[in-house]
Amino acid sequence: MGLNPIVKKDVKVQSRSMKICWGVFAYELILALVFFLSVVIIQQESRYSVGNIYSAMVWLYPILAVTQLVILGVVVPVRTASSISGEKERQTFDIMMTTSMTPFSVIWGKVVTAIVQSMLFVFASMPIMALPFIIGGMSWTYLFWFLGIALLVSIFSASIGILCSSLCKKSISAVILSYVFYLVFFIGTIFPYFIYEIIIQSVYLSGNAAQADNGIWWCLFLLVNPGMYITEFFAHVMAGQSMTEYMFELVNLTQSQRVLYEVLNGYGWLIISTILFLAVSFLFLFLAARQINPMRAHVKVAKKKHGDSQSE
Amino acid sequence: MLQINHLYKNYGKFRAVNDLSLHIPKGDLFGFVGPNGAGKTTTIRMVCGLMLPSAGEIVINGVNVSSHQKEIKKQIGYVPDFFGVYDNLKVREYMDFYGSMYRMNSREIAKISDDLLELVNLSDKKEVFVDTLSRGMKQRLCVARALIHNPALLVLDEPNSGLDPRARVEMKELLLNLKGMGKTIVISSHILSELSEMCNSIGIMDHGNLVAAGHMEDVMEGVFGSNQLIITLEEGHETAVRIANEHTKVKVDSVGEHEMKLSHNMTKQEIAKMIGVMIEHDVVVTGFHKQEGNLETLFMRVTGSTEAQEGGKEHGAESNS
Repeated sequence: MGLNPIVKKDVKVQSRSMKICWGVFAYELILALVFFLSVVIIQQESRYSVGNIYSAMVWLYPILAVTQLVILGVVVPVRTASSISGEKERQTFDIMMTTSMTPFSVIWGKVVTAIVQSMLFVFASMPIMALPFIIGGMSWTYLFWFLGIALLVSIFSASIGILCSSLCKKSISAVILSYVFYLVFFIGTIFPYFIYEIIIQSVYLSGNAAQADNGIWWCLFLLVNPGMYITEFFAHVMAGQSMTEYMFELVNLTQSQRVLYEVLNGYGWLIISTILFLAVSFLFLFLAARQINPMRAHVKVAKKKHGDSQSE
Repeated sequence: MLQINHLYKNYGKFRAVNDLSLHIPKGDLFGFVGPNGAGKTTTIRMVCGLMLPSAGEIVINGVNVSSHQKEIKKQIGYVPDFFGVYDNLKVREYMDFYGSMYRMNSREIAKISDDLLELVNLSDKKEVFVDTLSRGMKQRLCVARALIHNPALLVLDEPNSGLDPRARVEMKELLLNLKGMGKTIVISSHILSELSEMCNSIGIMDHGNLVAAGHMEDVMEGVFGSNQLIITLEEGHETAVRIANEHTKVKVDSVGEHEMKLSHNMTKQEIAKMIGVMIEHDVVVTGFHKQEGNLETLFMRVTGSTEAQEGGKEHGAESNS
């Protein structure tokens, strides 16, 4: 299987542009500023503490990692949101759709290009990112974990961007819609947990603690909350704990809830959440491919008619 | 080659294409003409699989466009009425990109794109960036791109729009070359004089209806009816009219000071005989020639009659109300 022609072309075109150089420069600059600012704060803090300043340097890892994930989360949807709508604006989309490329290969090509670009940024930042490992004494495996998380964030953000791009005619509308999707994932998925918290507080206040719900079902929405995912990841890395230990009230557990709790506890949450994020991403890619297929409704009808005529 | 059966396209309540049926044989250069909003581009987009027909079927080389999209993409080369470029892409790379989109290997692409760039006279521009080419060159490159997978049918939607006269001539020569190679070509254009020089068959669309289609001569004859003959004369007008009216195959359309227009259905020998009789009866005939219709006249007459009919309908509706 050869390289997707869209990836080959887009990467070539981008590499000839100065935009990518300026993009990497800006990315590095932001990271460097965050790094120096963090070092200054850590130094200030360590003056009044008894701990070793080098052990405090490990906090550079989550700070730099979160900074990078936030930048990727902001930049990648912009990049992909303008990919399909950009082709439409450039009026090359129709030509593309008359070639042998399937709608999914077009979508996949655009997403892979965005991922390649974002991973270029991440790899370019390795010298800065490696500093907490050198001076903070963290295990190198966490650096590869971070690469994995950055890849997942890129895939997820790119899939949101490409879906919005396929839905909108203008790039700017696609970018705005992408951030609306983000809001849904960040705030919409946390909403059921808030409702649960309000209910449980009122239950405790009314003195009926025995009837309290453990909230395990309410929290399941958080499996597709990017903020929760990143928090859970750093809870494991920095403290060796899972957020699930604090989220649920371990009371009145039914048999199925107990099994679910056992599955989610430890690394279970991260594994299931990763699988869900990948599943949502691929669902978005399929929806985007379906959306850009100009003959999508007719294929089914035509095939059905063909089948009917054969059966007759 | 291309068979369209009872094709319809509706945008909400508006019907853009209405019961269009058409057959274009292999090797034809078919000109699609019609005023703006007639439904030409909509039809072309449906033929290329870029739009969903509301009803009807399109068959290319025996393959249904709606149900066999993969196969149909190999059969069609599409040149739109615009030319979108990618910045920072060279001509050779542009051809490579589209070749690989048809799943061709790099060796095949290199060989075919060399031949095609030579055909469109862009061999010396291989290493030039596409966005620096002139509009005419871009359009020829677009034709080369559309031919990279050797499609059976080449569809061009107003390829000459915005081109200067030289670029138009070059494009015309290119299309005639392709026709000579046996390619089936469908071209939509507003430049009727060029179409009449290139195309051997035409289809005229108006308000979503195909009002005339077929081989150029057949359509002309169908629209203009019998042949028209113009006889220029100096004396004996009355005698000439009398002799002409004696023929059952002749109808006198008009008589002017120096010429007489006849609609007829005679053979060349019968025309010569009738002119001879006029001269024998002292009619001073100074010359005669056959009047042939051209595409402009044909277009105006066909689309004009539709407009007149619609105007009549509207007028009727207004008077009824």
